[in-house]
Amino acid sequence: MMNGTTIKSGLSGLLPWILPALFFLTWIIVSGTGLAPTYLLPHPETIGRAGVAYIFGDPDQGAYAGRFLSDARASLFRVLMGFSLAALLGIPLGILSGRTMVVRRLLSAFVNGLRAVPGICWLPLALVWFGIGLKTTIFLVALAAFFPIYLNAAAGARSVDPLLLQAGAMMGVRRLRGTFAILLPAAMPSIMTGLRLGLGIAWAYLVLGELTGVPDGLGAVIMDARMLGRIDIIVVGIILIAVMGRISDLILKSALRQLFKSARRLT
Amino acid sequence: MKPRLTVVSQKAAPDVRSPILEVRSLTKVFRSAHAPVKVLADIDIAAAAGELICILGPSGCGKSTLLKILSGFIRPSAGEMRLNNRPITRPGPDRCVVFQEDALFPWLTVAENIAFGLRGKMKDRKAARQEVDRFLSLVGLTAYRDYLPREISGGMKQRVALARVLILQPQVLLMDEPFASLDALAREEMQNLLLSLWDQLSHTILFVTHDVVEAATLADRILVMDKNPGHICAEIPVTPDRPRRQDEPGFIRFCRTLHDGLRGGFSERNFPGWP
Ligand SMILES: Nc1ncnc2c1ncn2[C@@H]1O[C@H](COP(=O)(O)OP(=O)(O)O)[C@@H](O)[C@H]1O
Ligand SMILES: [Mg+2]
Repeated sequence: MMNGTTIKSGLSGLLPWILPALFFLTWIIVSGTGLAPTYLLPHPETIGRAGVAYIFGDPDQGAYAGRFLSDARASLFRVLMGFSLAALLGIPLGILSGRTMVVRRLLSAFVNGLRAVPGICWLPLALVWFGIGLKTTIFLVALAAFFPIYLNAAAGARSVDPLLLQAGAMMGVRRLRGTFAILLPAAMPSIMTGLRLGLGIAWAYLVLGELTGVPDGLGAVIMDARMLGRIDIIVVGIILIAVMGRISDLILKSALRQLFKSARRLT
Repeated sequence: MKPRLTVVSQKAAPDVRSPILEVRSLTKVFRSAHAPVKVLADIDIAAAAGELICILGPSGCGKSTLLKILSGFIRPSAGEMRLNNRPITRPGPDRCVVFQEDALFPWLTVAENIAFGLRGKMKDRKAARQEVDRFLSLVGLTAYRDYLPREISGGMKQRVALARVLILQPQVLLMDEPFASLDALAREEMQNLLLSLWDQLSHTILFVTHDVVEAATLADRILVMDKNPGHICAEIPVTPDRPRRQDEPGFIRFCRTLHDGLRGGFSERNFPGWP
């Protein structure tokens, strides 16, 4: 009995790793046996070496060696700027439209109309308006991250239990304090969901913005590597973007939990 | 602390001639999609300071609506309400509510919930903390001060709900079937707690219930309501000393007459009462 359960829990611990392991195995076999040419799919070892050089290498060792830090810094800055802009606009507007009929009716048609436009369509317009580089990227990131943040904040504010607001009112809490002491914490789980979704989308649009020919950034590296046929660097870039997206999500989550009781205790 | 009123412990009739809370010809009509529905008709209430009034009535007779109007959450269609001779217009900490449902802030601990209303009121942090400690011990939750609402039982939640409003020293406490969702044992415990707090702090209490035994246990005076439209059909003074034993013949007889009255309607507004 005891034995059975430990075996079971051991198995279920392994479960998430089975598919990745199979994936890697297939990859090694396919590129090792020459089933796929290496210029289409390099061996994992090649990619590992390219990654190490890109992250830790000296700049004079090769084309991409040692560039990671400056690329990551540039990308991170753009994501942070765009994301902060989206949060700064999305949370207050979302809460307002969740609580106030007038604001909801004022905004909803406009926001839904904008949302119907696929994000990528903004790229040509943004290029005309802001030129190639920082501003275009930040604009795209902010625009794309705004919608999940705004919509979740609105849904969260709308679904706050009216009883909690009544309880506040009868204890003498006026509007402004009620917003910060009751509405915001009660809507926090939704707001947090929106911020996390928004951050994920921010990374996606970062790459889109950087594909247009900026000199630095992880998206720029990918595009650049494509021109030079360095598929190993493309794969390294993809993996690093995924890792940075994941880490930034973890940081966002724990920062919110540090800052807000409600984020800590309700999620 | 306010001086203890003699009214609370002595059998002397509460001084209704100078009521702290006065309701006159209160009427509420809800405008629904089809036709206006009259939910409350010509409600008159006069509550003396320190009086514990139970409003007893079948479900759907408008008890909650009446309490929501008194607390200022909804406006009456007609009529007058005055607290200390000042008209009631909006929610405020002079009329605190204990809701039937759990209305604690789920992201705050027991102690933080109790301190919530004080934050705007008391500037002195240390004094506020002491006050919170005092009320924690008054409701017997000192050991649970750092628990979250979801970690404590329904009875404890209602204790927190009681403490967080009592700490604001309201003139009138409005309670809407606050113990209805508790099991029998917890309900009895809460009734005893309420009586002991009331004895110590002498608030005026309007306590809504559909439970005959609860009304007979708690009240100085019972206002019986009937529905269609909601109105007060009888006013019954209850004078025996507390604690009232629920197995005593007089108590049982009184509950039965109340019960029958609720069923068949009270023939006269001035019911014999108890004893
Ligand atoms: N907002 C509302 N709009 C329309 N009708 C309502 C509203 N609130 C309550 N009512 C009606 O008023 C009556 C009394 O409700 P309520 O005060 O909750 O009764 P009780 O608390 O005594 O059970 C019910 O018939 C209910 O359907
Ligand atoms: Mg009710």
